[in-house]
Amino acid sequence: MKQLSTLLLKEWRENVRNYKVFWIPVVFILLGVTEPLSNYYLPQILDAAGGLPDGAVIEFPEPEPEQLLVAVMGQFQTIGMLVLVLAYMGSIAGERRNGTATLLYARPLSFTSYFLSKWMMASLIAMISIWTGFLAGYYYTAVLFSAVPFGDFLLFAITYSLWILLVVTMILFASAAMPSAGLTAALALTVLIIAQLVDGLLGSRWIWSPLKLPNYAAAFLDIGPDGGAFVGAVLLAIICIFGLAAFGIWFSKRNRSKAKV
Amino acid sequence: MIDEQALLLVLPILLLQLALMIFALVDLIKNPNPNGPKWMWAAIIVLLNIIGPILYFIIGRRNY
Repeated sequence: MKQLSTLLLKEWRENVRNYKVFWIPVVFILLGVTEPLSNYYLPQILDAAGGLPDGAVIEFPEPEPEQLLVAVMGQFQTIGMLVLVLAYMGSIAGERRNGTATLLYARPLSFTSYFLSKWMMASLIAMISIWTGFLAGYYYTAVLFSAVPFGDFLLFAITYSLWILLVVTMILFASAAMPSAGLTAALALTVLIIAQLVDGLLGSRWIWSPLKLPNYAAAFLDIGPDGGAFVGAVLLAIICIFGLAAFGIWFSKRNRSKAKV
Repeated sequence: MIDEQALLLVLPILLLQLALMIFALVDLIKNPNPNGPKWMWAAIIVLLNIIGPILYFIIGRRNY
């Protein structure tokens, strides 16, 4: 326990000093705010960009506030996830290379505490980021269009949080298993993006797939997902998180000899 | 074209962008060994808003 708190303090200092605590949430807030704003000012933006003949009239349907929140989630799914992967790809693989690992591994280190401290700090920052991002998006949508019922919004954001926890665990697992930060990013992005693509194309029957969590989150803003499928996906996601974390701990122990001295 | 309401709505975004840029610039000034020439990174951070600071934090810091 003592080791975990010391390592957590180290992680926290590192994340403050490389400004990750600040810039990752700022990126997510910007993503969350841009979507409602650009929809609101779409007519003016088109007007300013020019290219339309004089007197052209385009009727813009008023976007539903739910659609805007789902669009914000879409931004998080692409740019947001890329930012998370690139920000945390080096957390274990990079330490082996830049020398921090030699300082750590020379001590009687519990790899469980080591992995967990990284996981907790990365998850904490990811959670702060997506919640501030979603709340900013929610606020702007409510001001510019109309408010989504807050209960639905909470269920949506909580479900999406579970998905992001899975993503963070996947990134750290890849970082523990791979020899370099670049390969970590490649593995994590391939698994996350290709698996989602395959799941979207072929997986209409795999209703318990944790990869469907973002879809289920979006469904909460509409009529709500199918109860059984949702519970199944949540349970499977939790099992995946524990499994990946266990493998991550095992890999970080096994790969300690790869540290560059 | 720019009315007061629009300004109030867009102001938080501008402030956040500015904050991001300042964080990146402060870090760049303190960084003894960035991944590439400092003046190049300064130009990227200032000229490309949002993307510039992110690029610097991910590629330019050399933290791995």
